Amino acid sequence: MKDKINSMLAEAKNKIHEAASENELQNMKSAYIGKQGALSLLMKEIPALSVSLRPEMGKLLNQAKNEVKELIDKKRVELKLKASEVPPDFDCSVPGILPSQGALHPITQMCYDLNDTFRSMGFEIFEEDEITSELYAFDKLNFPPNHPARESMDTYWLEGHDSGATSEKLCLRPHLTGGSVRYMQTHKPPYRFVYPGRVYRNETTDAHHERAFFQYEALIVDKDITFTSGKVMIKSILSKVFGTDVPVRMRSGFFPFVEPGFEIDMQCQVCGGKGCSVCKHVGWIEVMPGGSPHPNVLRAAGLDPDEYTGFYVNIGLDRLVMMRYGVDDVRLFHSADLRFLKQFR
Amino acid sequence: MKLSLSWIKDYVKIPEDMDLKKLAYDLTMSTVEVEDAEDLARRFDGMIVGVIDKVEQHPNADRLRVCKVDIGGGEIRDIVCGGINLKEGMRVAVSCPGAVVRWHGEGEPVVIKKSKLRGVESYGMICASEEIGLGDLFPAAQEAEILDLSDFDVPAGTPLADALDMNDVILEIDNKSMTNRPDLWGHYGIAREIAALYDLPLVELEPFQTDVASDFKVEIDAPDRCARYMGVEMSGVEVKPSPYKMQNRIWKAGMRPINALVDITNYVMLATGNPTHAFDADNITDHIVVRHAAEGEKLLLLNDNELTLQEDDLVITDSEGPVALAGVMGGAKDSILPKTRRVILEVANFEATGIRRTALRYETRTEASSRYEKAIDPERCDQALALSMQYFKELYPELKVTGFCDNYVKKLERAQIDVSLTWLEKRLGKSLTNEEIQGKLEKLGFVVQIDGDNMHVTAPTWRSTGDISIKDDVMEEVARMYGYDNFDATEFTTSFTGAINQKDKSLVRNIKEYLAFRCGMQEVYTYPWMSDTYVNAVLQSTEGVLKLSTPPAPDMSFIRSSLLPNLCEAVAKNERYFNDFAIFEEAQVFFDKNYVSLYDPAESLPEQRRHIGGAFASSVKNINTLFREAKGVLEHMPRYTHMEEYLFRKEEKPVWADSHVWLNLYLGDQKIGDMGLMAKKVSMECGIKNLSVMLFELDTTLLKPLRSRTNHFTHLAEYPETDYDISMLFDVNTVWHDIYDVIMGRKKASALLKDAAFVDEYRGKQIPAGKKSVTIRLTIGSDEKTLTSQEIESTAGQVMKKLEKRMNAELRTQ
Repeated sequence: MKDKINSMLAEAKNKIHEAASENELQNMKSAYIGKQGALSLLMKEIPALSVSLRPEMGKLLNQAKNEVKELIDKKRVELKLKASEVPPDFDCSVPGILPSQGALHPITQMCYDLNDTFRSMGFEIFEEDEITSELYAFDKLNFPPNHPARESMDTYWLEGHDSGATSEKLCLRPHLTGGSVRYMQTHKPPYRFVYPGRVYRNETTDAHHERAFFQYEALIVDKDITFTSGKVMIKSILSKVFGTDVPVRMRSGFFPFVEPGFEIDMQCQVCGGKGCSVCKHVGWIEVMPGGSPHPNVLRAAGLDPDEYTGFYVNIGLDRLVMMRYGVDDVRLFHSADLRFLKQFR
Repeated sequence: MKLSLSWIKDYVKIPEDMDLKKLAYDLTMSTVEVEDAEDLARRFDGMIVGVIDKVEQHPNADRLRVCKVDIGGGEIRDIVCGGINLKEGMRVAVSCPGAVVRWHGEGEPVVIKKSKLRGVESYGMICASEEIGLGDLFPAAQEAEILDLSDFDVPAGTPLADALDMNDVILEIDNKSMTNRPDLWGHYGIAREIAALYDLPLVELEPFQTDVASDFKVEIDAPDRCARYMGVEMSGVEVKPSPYKMQNRIWKAGMRPINALVDITNYVMLATGNPTHAFDADNITDHIVVRHAAEGEKLLLLNDNELTLQEDDLVITDSEGPVALAGVMGGAKDSILPKTRRVILEVANFEATGIRRTALRYETRTEASSRYEKAIDPERCDQALALSMQYFKELYPELKVTGFCDNYVKKLERAQIDVSLTWLEKRLGKSLTNEEIQGKLEKLGFVVQIDGDNMHVTAPTWRSTGDISIKDDVMEEVARMYGYDNFDATEFTTSFTGAINQKDKSLVRNIKEYLAFRCGMQEVYTYPWMSDTYVNAVLQSTEGVLKLSTPPAPDMSFIRSSLLPNLCEAVAKNERYFNDFAIFEEAQVFFDKNYVSLYDPAESLPEQRRHIGGAFASSVKNINTLFREAKGVLEHMPRYTHMEEYLFRKEEKPVWADSHVWLNLYLGDQKIGDMGLMAKKVSMECGIKNLSVMLFELDTTLLKPLRSRTNHFTHLAEYPETDYDISMLFDVNTVWHDIYDVIMGRKKASALLKDAAFVDEYRGKQIPAGKKSVTIRLTIGSDEKTLTSQEIESTAGQVMKKLEKRMNAELRTQ
């Protein structure tokens, strides 16, 4: 009997070990320790044994039954942990569900990136109204009275406000710089602010020219500033936009409201400065004008140009976004075409 | 502007080993933007002068010939050609295999290959002038005419670039980069700048002198507009081609050679930057008078345009009337014609802004006017005249000067500027020696006197017409000559005066990010001007709307007082591609009222506010869902963006809204915006076909940001809370706000009620007419214990009983 028990136990252990499903285990349970199970049936044979053997065999049998039960329970937990809730052909390559699809306009994205950068350097953000007078759009910026930009073929004048004194002539602002004068008039120096906004020029549009476009002006005015302080501002902007340190150069340029004025070029990011079709083989791309505010502009803002000076840059955001992403038509920014806008996350 | 380097070298001795790339780079960094420095000869690579030995008929084509061409070294090759003027002994331009040409001067460049033409092997191509880019230099008289180079006495096989003097570098300068530098608009000006940059000797142009005494005179009746007029009357000239060298240079500078008389005037302008003009002296009656035009006076220009002049125009006249539009274009009557034998040469100085106004008025910007409008100094007339006379004498050995006058009515004052050296050092951020500063300025033609800290600077005449006028200009000259790249970037120091906190700016950003990131809306930008179609459809009135005087298009003259017309246009445009989308825009709007300025008492600006508007468009959602989505976005916006809560009221229907589906937004007693369903009529007028559109617009200027982020912490419930849904029938006109008020209002239906939320609303089958079923989710719980199901049931029962009593609600039996 002892051998029977032991061999049955060994057989059960083996089968339990190899069981692959809950069902199998259940069957085994009834096959060995159920009412009609092999071990249970052996129990019935005990009374037929000699009295001296009965206690030992009974004990042995109970131990075996318990051991089988424990093994089955243990295996059951083991199987549960191994098991999956889904069929084995579950396809994990199916794409996920897109979360809420909204996005900011790529220009806004760029603008906010720059705002964050400048705020980290202690700049304020300034905004001004889009309708301004000729006084602030041109006079205060040292544009001579006959400057071509003042003409209606360059600037959008308002009907009924397109003649008379320059303080009475109203237009959609052709640039942001006039607004900077307003800031300076109403704040105490030193100044450190950025001024994002949309400006308007009356011109024929094509892939590279727009009537409405975005500028980002940064101005710093203090007592002891050399004209090269601007390089720090420029580098901050470009490294934020392009994610790496971009070599820049400043070269001579002319704008009525700065003296001296610069054209600021950055190394072509397509060819790394070696020369390619994008940079017309010069290795540099013009990105923004800059310079020290012209003494007449500081005077217009109520500052003494002998005491104060500063540095200004004005970035075309459209152009920067175009370069960043390879957008080839500036008119797309105002198209409100979701096929375009959805590409920018 | 295009410049020939070999021409520049006439005036400044540039060392032969100078790196031209560096020259272009240095000019760009210090003076003007050199967009391109083209090695001109490269265009003619693979092209040689060939001599036609024999011309034979092509066996398989009537129009083609087979030429035996000597391509040098006695080598004769067959070349198939369709030219009509081929003859034996003729020198021609041959493009050998590898050369790049353009078929008939048009289209993409083509690389020449050895090939068979109609069965006959052809070595290369005998070229017409336009095929190798020389159409302007050697204009063909008729189609299929081959460029005849027989006048060029060179042996067969000579590289074409050598034969035609094309070994040159063409500098292309960005005109925009020198609008402030009238002195640079010619080869001599750039030569002067190069001389200064590299400290090289500059060739001086000797002034013209003559001892001719005659009664030839020029009157200046408008001294405000004409500072100087030099005139030379001469005989013994005729119309003939100018020498090839002159034609070649004029062509390199981007103009067309015409005839010797005209070419001299253009050449001198390209050299000195001072325009000159030649009149046929036989057509000038009496003498020349420079004056303002009489109002309505007529002038027929060289280009056959007849102008009706205004008093603001300056004209050159004789006793019969205007003969030229001063500084802009000559007249037809006195222009150079084949019969011309006597000319009057004009070398004059006209006032810049007047020339510009006239050129713009008649849309006639010319090489001359674009130079005059930069403000040329009158001293330059001397050089221009000297150079002109040098060439007149060279080209017409028989020439006789019969009259000369120099009417110089307004002498130029040279700019005088005092600069403090301490100031200069501070602004440069670098200490330069007095000698360095003086040296750099003197090279540019400035006269410098240093006395202690003061540096007295006298600008040269060619920089004194407005270009150099203040000490900052002088500083710029020093800095650019030193090289901007040689100054180190100086960091600016940060002063800690506290964190920057601009709540209004943050609020707008919070709102935009909330709409985009949380509500799934796409931000768009549209123009400030609106198309009349959308103005009429959406605003339905233009009262108080501002207008542009020269709009981008006649039907886009109104500038927006609301963001909605352009948003509706954006919806209409996107309908083709999308059937369910939401967009928003934040921008400025304008109103023709409340004119005021905070900055200048003389200024008066219209009212300008900032709005935020949105559109939810869908053809797949029902209006109820669309409405609740839009309303949900607005309802939750104040909490997520941290501004004061506004309320929905129903006071005044927006004109564009459906008669039932609309709400007004109020912050206290102030209306701050609207929302609503776009009326069917409006969306039809907007060209929207299947989309239902919910619109909203808020005045962001009126929104009030909270001082900081506000959230209220409540202790987490200690005992479980239960959601319990009840559905009851209400009168169809019952509004949710009232139901909520009965349940959760000041006297709550039960102390165990934590909240009540709207789940949905149903009408239709199984619901009696005039009724609707509303499902409400009650949150029930206690702070003291876990509630039994009886307690929960009884709380819900109290709510239902109260609704029955107060709102005449019935328990839904089905």
